[in-house]
Amino acid sequence: MTKDDGEMVEEQKKKPCRFWIWALSSVLFRLILISYAGNLNLSSRPEVSTPLTSIRRLAEGYWLKQASMSPYAGSMYHGSPLLLSLLGPLTVQRIKGQPSHLFCSLVFVIADILSAILLRGIGKKLQMAYGLNARLLGLLKSPRDKAGILPCGDIAALVYLWNPFTIVCCVGLSTSPIENLAVILALNGAVTRRVPLAAFGLVMATHLSLYPAILTIPVIFLLGYGLDAPPLKLFLQTRNVESGNRSSTSSASKQAKSKPTAQLPFLWKTVVHFVFWALVWSLCVMVLCRLSLSKHGGLEEMFKRTYGFILSIEDLSPNIGVFWYFFAEVFDFFRNFFLIVFHVNILFMLLPLAIRLKHRPCFLAFIYLAISSLLKSYPSVGDSALYLSLWALFVNELADMKFSFFLFCGYLGVSLLSPVMHNLWIWRGTGNANFYFGNAIGYACFQIVFVVESVSAMLNHDRALKKCNPNHQKVKN
Amino acid sequence: MATENRDKEEEEVKTDDGSPKIKPRPIVQLGIFLISHSPVFSVVFSAAGVMALLLLPLLAKNTYISENALMPGSARSMLSHRDVSDGSKLVNDIKSFRLNHEGQGVEVQRLIGNYMLEMGAEVSYQKFQPEGNHFHPLHFFSGPASYTNLGNVSCAAYGVNVAGIIRAPRGDGKESIVLVTPYDFLNGGDYEALSLGIASSLFSLLARVTWLSKDIIWLVADSRYGDYRPVAAWLTEYHTPSFEVSDLSKCDELNPSDSFRRAGTVAAALVVKVDGRSERFEDTLSIYAEASNGQMPNLDLINVVNYLAVHRQGFYVKVEKVVSLLSSSWLKTVGEIFEAVGKVARSLNPDWKFGIPAADYLEGSATLASSLYSQALGIPTGPHGAFRDYQVDAITLKVSPRFPPDSKGRQHEFCLRGAQLLEGTIRSVNNLLEKFHQSFFLYLLTSPGKFISVGVYMIAFALLVAPLPMVAASLYIDGCTTQNPAENLKSWKWLDAAKQVFALHLLGFIVTLLPYLICQVPGEQSPTNRSIIWATTSSSLLLITFVTVPGCSPFSSRLHGTNWAVLKSVTISAAFIGLCLMSIINFATAEIGALLLVPMCLMVRPIRPDLRSRRVKSLVRALCSMVLVTIGFPVMFFAISKGLIGEGLVGLGLGGEFWTWLESLWAWKSATYLYIGMVHLPCWLLCLCILFHPS
Repeated sequence: MTKDDGEMVEEQKKKPCRFWIWALSSVLFRLILISYAGNLNLSSRPEVSTPLTSIRRLAEGYWLKQASMSPYAGSMYHGSPLLLSLLGPLTVQRIKGQPSHLFCSLVFVIADILSAILLRGIGKKLQMAYGLNARLLGLLKSPRDKAGILPCGDIAALVYLWNPFTIVCCVGLSTSPIENLAVILALNGAVTRRVPLAAFGLVMATHLSLYPAILTIPVIFLLGYGLDAPPLKLFLQTRNVESGNRSSTSSASKQAKSKPTAQLPFLWKTVVHFVFWALVWSLCVMVLCRLSLSKHGGLEEMFKRTYGFILSIEDLSPNIGVFWYFFAEVFDFFRNFFLIVFHVNILFMLLPLAIRLKHRPCFLAFIYLAISSLLKSYPSVGDSALYLSLWALFVNELADMKFSFFLFCGYLGVSLLSPVMHNLWIWRGTGNANFYFGNAIGYACFQIVFVVESVSAMLNHDRALKKCNPNHQKVKN
Repeated sequence: MATENRDKEEEEVKTDDGSPKIKPRPIVQLGIFLISHSPVFSVVFSAAGVMALLLLPLLAKNTYISENALMPGSARSMLSHRDVSDGSKLVNDIKSFRLNHEGQGVEVQRLIGNYMLEMGAEVSYQKFQPEGNHFHPLHFFSGPASYTNLGNVSCAAYGVNVAGIIRAPRGDGKESIVLVTPYDFLNGGDYEALSLGIASSLFSLLARVTWLSKDIIWLVADSRYGDYRPVAAWLTEYHTPSFEVSDLSKCDELNPSDSFRRAGTVAAALVVKVDGRSERFEDTLSIYAEASNGQMPNLDLINVVNYLAVHRQGFYVKVEKVVSLLSSSWLKTVGEIFEAVGKVARSLNPDWKFGIPAADYLEGSATLASSLYSQALGIPTGPHGAFRDYQVDAITLKVSPRFPPDSKGRQHEFCLRGAQLLEGTIRSVNNLLEKFHQSFFLYLLTSPGKFISVGVYMIAFALLVAPLPMVAASLYIDGCTTQNPAENLKSWKWLDAAKQVFALHLLGFIVTLLPYLICQVPGEQSPTNRSIIWATTSSSLLLITFVTVPGCSPFSSRLHGTNWAVLKSVTISAAFIGLCLMSIINFATAEIGALLLVPMCLMVRPIRPDLRSRRVKSLVRALCSMVLVTIGFPVMFFAISKGLIGEGLVGLGLGGEFWTWLESLWAWKSATYLYIGMVHLPCWLLCLCILFHPS
C-alpha cells in the first residue's frame, strides 16, 4: 500500500538490481531516522508500542531480572523470557553520543531485512506457481510468456521495507519486527517445504504473541496440499478436455499429476512430520523458558503473565484497537462473558474461511493475520505492516481489487489522524477519549473493508479463471 | 448432463458478477447520484459553505455559565479601602524608587518581594534568558519543553521574575491559581505600575481571608523582553524543574538560597495589564483568549469575567475586532439583507427569531473575523498563551482607565474596581472542585457575551469541503473508464498519479524545512536576502523534481504524463485529507485555507484544450482557473491581503515581509506554517501541473 508500489511494478521488469538499490536505500533511511530517534519520540506512541511490544518495558523487565526479581513483577513486562535474554543485554549497552537503545534498533533493522528476504523467497515460489498454473490452465501459451506476471516477491519485500508502518515500528523500538520475522519464517518454511523451519517459525511466533497460533491451519494446508492454486475443479476440466483430445499431457504440477478424483491428495506424512517438529520445538522453548525463569515462578508464572495478560486484557491504556475502550466501560460482572465473546470472534471465522479458501493456503494465512490484527487485544501498526506486505504477494491475483484508492486514502488519513486525536485528548485536553476511539473505529472499518474486498477479489479471480478458460469454452461448444 | 450443469453454473456466475437486474442498495444509489451530478452539487455545497460562514454571526448564542460550582458574584466583596491604599503605596514606592535609582539592578523586584513578604507570602525570584527566534524543525512535533536550551548563557541580558505564594488556609496545597502582572522594571510606564497596584491590593486581601482553598501565586513577570517569554520561562521551571545548575545563577546579585517555590497544579490563570487610556467614557476591559494554534481557554472562564465585569463592576467589556470591516459596505449590505429576511420570517411566524439588526451583524462579523484571524495565525495574543501549553485555562485582561495616569482620586476607585473584579473571579475559580471541563473549549467569539460553538461552525467547513470527495470520486471513475478497458491493472492506475502527488508533497516538506538551513547561513542576512535564497533553492528543487521524476512535470511528453483526471482526483483527495486534519488541529486555519484551496482544486482543468476550443464557456473557465491559481499562491495571497489592509507592496520588499511573517509563525510553533508548506503549497503546485497538463 505504499506509494512506491507502482514504481516498483514498472521498474522491476527492467532491472532486477533495482530491488537491491531500493532495499538498501530503505535500510539507509532507517539508519538516518534512528539517529533522530530521540527527537521523534516514536517509542512512546500508543500506535507503535503496546504493552507487549514496548522496548521500555523490556528494559524494565531486564532490570528486574538483573536485580534477581521476577521480570514479570509489577506488571511491567509481558513478553517472552527468551526475548528478554536476547534483547535485554542490548538495552543497557550504550555508546556515548549515540541514541540510547542503538543496538536494539540495529537488531530490528536486521530483522526487517531478513523478513523482506524471506518474503521475497515466498513471493518467488508463489510467482512460479502462478505461472505454472496459468500455463496448465492454458492461459499462458508458452513458458516464455511471462510478461504479464508481476514479480510479486520483490513487490512484497519492498512493500514491507518501505511501508511507513514498518519503518515507524522499527525506529520506534517496538519488538513487532521480531514477531513479524517469526511469522514470515513459518510461512517461508511451509512454502519452501522445509518442515523443521516452518515448525520453528510457528512455535516462535506463537510463543512471542499467541495469535499466530491460528496460522497452524494454513501451514498444515500448505504442507499437505501444496502452494496456492486455482480450485481443483478447473484442472480437472482442463485435464478431461486434454485427455479427450490427446492421450498424454505435458509435465505438470502435483495437482495436474493427480488422478482425476474430486479430491487432492493430502500429504499426511509431511504433516505428521510437521507436528513432530512443532512438538520438539515447543519442548525446547518450554525448557529454555523454564531454565530462565526457574527462580521466579516457572512456566506457570510465564503463561499467566504473557498469555493470561493477552487474553484477559488487563491493560486498558489506549491503542489503535477497539477493546480498551469497551473493557474500560463494561461492568465487572460482565467482563468474563465479554472476554469470551470477543475472543471467540476470531475463532468463529477460522473454520468457514479455511473451508472456502483451502486451495489458497497462503492467502488464507494473510486473511487470518489481517483478522487477528483487527481483533487483537493489543494491536499496533506493526501487525498491519505484516498483513499489508503479505497482501502484496497476491498482486497478480488481486489486480482488479475494488476500492483500492479509497482504502489507500482511508489508511493514510486514519494513520495521520491518530496522533492528532491523541494529542487533542492527552496533551491539549480539549478532546476526550471518544476522539481517539472514533479514530480506532474508523481504522477497524477500513481494515474490514480491506479484508472483505481482498477476499471477494480473490474469489472473483477464481471465477474469472473459470470463465476465460479456453477449454471451458470448448466444452461448452 | 455435464454440459447442462455447466450452463447452470454459467448463469449463476453471471448473477454473482452483478447483473443489471439486481438493484444497488439505497445508500449506494445515493452515492452514485451524488457522484454523477458532482458539478452541480459542488457548486451548491461550496456556495452553502460560504453562506453558512456569513450566517455565523446570526447563529451565535448567548454565553451562559455552565459549571454550577462557579457561582460568580454570589459573595459580597471583602476588599477594603485599606487594601487598596496598600496597593497604591506600593505603586508610589516603585515610582519614587525608580526616580531616585537608575540602572539595571533587581532592587525593584526586591522591593516588591519585600512587600509580598510583609503580607505573609512566600517569595521566590527566578532568572530567565530571552530566547531568540530559533527555528528547529523537530520542535514542531515534540511536546512543550521537551528540550532545554542550555549553554552559552550571558550575564548581560537576563530578566528576573518575582513570585509570591499565599498558602490557602483551607486547601491541601495541591491546587493553585496564578495571577500574572507583567511589568517592565526598566522602563515601565505609570499605567503599567497600576496593574501592580491592583494585584497587590488583591494580594493583601487574599493573605487575610479564610475562604481560600487554592493557593494563590502572584507572578510579577519581568517584561523587558516581551510579555510572553518571562511567563513561559516561569511555567517551564514550575512544571519541569531542571536539576542542573544553570550558569545564570552565578551572574547574580540575589542570594542563591532562594529556591524556586511551587504550589499545586494550576487551576486557572489571569493576566492583568493596565493599558493606556480608554477611548470610551467608561473604563474598558479587553479580554484576550487565543493561545497558540487556535486553542482557547474554557468558555466558563471568559463567562465569569464577563459576568462580573458587566454586572458587578460596570466595565465596558470588549474583545478584539477587525476595525476595517466595520466600515465595509458590502458586509453592511449583507447584514441589511439578513435583517430584512429576519423581519419577513418573523412576520410569518413570530417564533422564528433569527434576524439581528444590521449594526449588530456588522459588529459580530468584525469580532468573528478577528477571532478567526488570531486563531488561524496560531500566535498567542498575550502571555496567557504560555499557560495553555500546560492545559491551564488562562486569559489576559487588559484594563484601560478613563482618566489620565496622574489623577489620584480616580486611581483609587479604579484600583478598587479592578481588584474587586479579580477577587470575584478568583473566588469563583476557588469554588471549583474539578478542572474546567463543563463548558466549551472549541468556539469562536462574536462578542464578549456571544459565542459560536464547534457544532455550528463545523457545518460551514463541512459544507465547504464536502464537494472534494464527490468530485474526486467522479473524476476517478472518469479517468479509469475512459482509457482502454482491456488494460491490465486498471484499478491501480492511480498509483502513477499518487507517485506525482507524493513527490510534490515531499518537495513541500523539504521546502518547509529549508528555512532551518537558511538560518544557519553565516553572516547577518536581511529578510529580503533570505527570502531570495529560499525562493531560488525551492524553485531549483522543483526543477530537479520535474527532471528526475518522470511524469511529474507538466511539460513532459504525453506518453509519460498521467491522465489528468486521475491526477486531479488524487490531488483533491490529498487536499481533502490535509484540510480535514488541519480542521482538527486548528479550525480557523483550515477554514481560511479551504476558502482558498477548495475553489482552486475544483475549478482547475488543463487550459490547452480550453484555449484551443475558443468557446466562450471554456475561455471563461480557463480564465477563472488562472485567476484562482494566481490567488492561491501563498505569497500572492499574502500580498493581496496586505494590499487590502492598505500596505501595498511590490517586488523584493514583499519577499522580505513574507519572510518576516513566516518567521513569526515558526517562532511561535504555529501549525499554520506547516499547513502552508505541507498542504497548501503542494496542492497549489499540483493544480499548476494540472493547469498546464499536455492533454
